[in-house]
Amino acid sequence: MLTEILSVVAPLFICAGIGFVWGRLDKPFDAEMMTGLALHLGVPCLVFSTLTRLEISPVAFGKMAGAYTLALVLFMILAAVLTRLLKLEPRAFIPALTFRNSGNLGLPVCLFAFGEAGLAYGIGCFVIASLAGLTVGRGIYAGSTASEALFRNPIVYAIAISVVFMVAGIKPPAWIANTVDIVSGMAIPLMVVSLGVAISRIRVVGIGRAAALSALELAVGFGVGVALADLFGLTGVARGVLILQCAMPVAVHNYVFAQFYRRSPETVAGMVVVSTLFACFSLPAVLWFVLP
Amino acid sequence: MTPVAELASIVAPVFICAAIGFVWARRGLPFDNAVITSLVYNVGGPCLILATFAKVELSPGALAEIAAATLAAYAGFAAVGVAVLRAARLRLASYLPAVIFPLTGSMGLPVCLFAFGDEGLAFALVFFAFGAIGTFTVGATIAAGTVSFGRIARSPVFYAVFLAIGLEIARIDLPRWAFNTADLLGGIVIPAQLVALGLALSRLRVTSLGRSVSLAALRLAAGALIGWAVAEAFALGPVASAVVILQSAMPVAVSSYLFAQMYNREPEEVAGMVLVSTLLSFATLPLLLAVLLP
Repeated sequence: MLTEILSVVAPLFICAGIGFVWGRLDKPFDAEMMTGLALHLGVPCLVFSTLTRLEISPVAFGKMAGAYTLALVLFMILAAVLTRLLKLEPRAFIPALTFRNSGNLGLPVCLFAFGEAGLAYGIGCFVIASLAGLTVGRGIYAGSTASEALFRNPIVYAIAISVVFMVAGIKPPAWIANTVDIVSGMAIPLMVVSLGVAISRIRVVGIGRAAALSALELAVGFGVGVALADLFGLTGVARGVLILQCAMPVAVHNYVFAQFYRRSPETVAGMVVVSTLFACFSLPAVLWFVLP
Repeated sequence: MTPVAELASIVAPVFICAAIGFVWARRGLPFDNAVITSLVYNVGGPCLILATFAKVELSPGALAEIAAATLAAYAGFAAVGVAVLRAARLRLASYLPAVIFPLTGSMGLPVCLFAFGDEGLAFALVFFAFGAIGTFTVGATIAAGTVSFGRIARSPVFYAVFLAIGLEIARIDLPRWAFNTADLLGGIVIPAQLVALGLALSRLRVTSLGRSVSLAALRLAAGALIGWAVAEAFALGPVASAVVILQSAMPVAVSSYLFAQMYNREPEEVAGMVLVSTLLSFATLPLLLAVLLP
């Protein structure tokens, strides 16, 4: 069991560690280029290649997407109550406590823990999180809704095209599948290395409040994940993936939005860093809980 | 799969990924070549070598054979290159590295992978590793006139090859965590290199083509012939011999242009060779594959 957990988390710590050291050494790292390569090229290809090669049924995939949607709604309600009670700035803390790192960290964890089927389910959660993050999440930070960001995001198109293939039950020809497959190979390593660089570059001030909120975010995520897995009657890989994706640390894009729209950026930055560091301990524990 | 669909499944990914890089550069999107090269050669490359060798079972005999065949092929490229360039009274410092070193990484690796699976990729990686080491030593020496052994000693690709071959011979399996890490990071190499190739092609400044066309044809045609002769001479197995021929017949490596530019050895002419041989390979590669595929 321990070697199995190690085989899931070690690659992530090492890749993120490479990014962290890279960032700390002040080696050049064009974040804009990496985002472009990973999020605009690699991830859309990863979504398409995983979904068209799907090792799970469209129904199971839909069920997972539904369960994760409900999870996000629950996170949001709980976060709204909490920000009211603690008198925190709702436009900063509701999205920060809702949106989890289901991409950079969630996808490789699901892949290494449960193989291709795990990745497919993990993408089900990631797809919902991306769509909701770009619309609702950004809307809360900005104080206005803007849907054109959605139409400029290639992930949205990748999902749409994949759904057509899935519903029609057709496989893409080998030349498309091979092309998409090589490009998708960049997605996860670049995302994890970028996560390390981002963590190394975020400056954290006043760690107390961030630490308390991070611990809460991880604990609530785990609890909600277990409850929803039971509610939806999920078993095996699907149950494991839902619980893992719910128990991920605060997503990095929260920090980007908080900074851009000036919504308590210091505390949100602290939450991203601290919850990711906490995840170094909480993830092995959650894996121990979900792995067969 | 029909033969045409099979060919398309091997060469289309290469052209499409390079085209993405080409368009990326033309649209002025950010691309930091130094970071990508550093990631590929220092992190991704060594990881891809370790992970691929961990996936395939190769006998020490087969490894020794492919290594010897690779060295023989490079020696052949150098001998033919020197002879032809001398005869044509062209400067060796400018043209020899471009004639010797084929594009074994960004183009050779995916072609061998899609044509012959992980076994093909493992053999192709041996060819690539020797090429990478040779480019930075012999290639740089010819262009610069000075030798740098420090560069080999600092090259992680060099250590990864010996570690991978050592583990293969000793029949030691990488622990799961190390394999997963290497497999993950190795995934960067092929796509990043292909996009970088397209980008480099879009930035080449080609002024005259005359000489470039004949030298590009020499790289492709003599390369294929030497590869075939070496594969026959070493009586390589079917996959190994196909890989040696394919890797030998790759177009002029982009790194040759970088050296030509760095040491001012007629960079425009070398740029022309890179561009023309890559364009010609769009035609020669499917032909070669049609012959070599089982």
